Amino acid sequence: MTDHKIWDPFVRAFHWSVAAGFLANALLTEDDSKLHEWVGYAVLILLGLRILWGFIGPKSARFSSFWPTRTGVTEQLSDLATRRRKAHLGHTPLGALMIFNLLLSLLAIGLTGWMMTTNTFWGVDWVEEAHEALVIWAEISVVLHVAAVIWESWRTGVNLPQAMVTGTKRVPDDVKLVP
Amino acid sequence: MSLPSKTDKPQALIALIAVQSLCAAFFLWDVVDDLGPNGLRALANLHIAIEALAALALVSAIVYETRALMALLRRKAHLENQVSIAAGAFHDIMLDHFQTWGLTAAEQDVAGFTIKGLSIAEIADLRGSAEGTVKSQLNAIYRKAGVPGRGALLGLLVDDLMNAPLTPEKPLQKEAP
Repeated sequence: MTDHKIWDPFVRAFHWSVAAGFLANALLTEDDSKLHEWVGYAVLILLGLRILWGFIGPKSARFSSFWPTRTGVTEQLSDLATRRRKAHLGHTPLGALMIFNLLLSLLAIGLTGWMMTTNTFWGVDWVEEAHEALVIWAEISVVLHVAAVIWESWRTGVNLPQAMVTGTKRVPDDVKLVP
Repeated sequence: MSLPSKTDKPQALIALIAVQSLCAAFFLWDVVDDLGPNGLRALANLHIAIEALAALALVSAIVYETRALMALLRRKAHLENQVSIAAGAFHDIMLDHFQTWGLTAAEQDVAGFTIKGLSIAEIADLRGSAEGTVKSQLNAIYRKAGVPGRGALLGLLVDDLMNAPLTPEKPLQKEAP
């Protein structure tokens, strides 16, 4: 086993607080309540900070370090097709695609949610429908994200949920590391 | 089967699968929406039943394409940096045998490396697995192929290669003279 410090405290705090905020608003809070609105704004602020952090944060948090490329995606799929156990220290290319998908979806959810509170868009059908469709999309994405994390942890032997809590990836010795 | 000189495009296939998955997700969601409170009884409605069938057909197409993509990626992973016709022909014979023997994706990868002459330690390093894992995969390969070891495995394939024409146009002949 080798330990690699990879996720800084902000990335971890961001991940779990956004997860909690999304779950709360999708499943728990009343749609029309003030609480729903405030949780939504909190998630929007967190998203803004994360995007800023993606440019000025430490290397593993920067978008440039995990920007998904076509070669990277093809290589990761080839590893899956040949059952080769390779682990990525940062985000995998497919994982990065999911991250950008979730960031953008949540931004759009927040934006349409805020629009519903403005005089211009209050009661406008397409805004509400877009808000709801985007939430369904985000829910499907979250389920896929969790399933992929469990599968990837099982496949590579690196406990990914634990790494997102402690910030450290524990990589088994026989796994090949992709930088 | 195509030869490596022909350009294979996994990326186009990946994009197609991604787009079709989005469509399938939308249609499936639409079907579930149509079923509504009536549940499966709503399928008695011809239109909804046809919609459900079309969605399922699309899903099975995606499953088929994904399998094809995985096979294509395996092939590319094994043929990297090899563009000669002989390498392609040999690889086709290899794949043919692997399928007849019923090797798993991981076993095919290990078998490919061992045929290239790599040691157990090298294969373990390349695949990111323990040497013990590679050893047991090799044992499974030899058992399924019905050979005692690496030499005999290679012998089987070379034997077939000598009977195969090396022209790209014709399909490979497998039967012995």
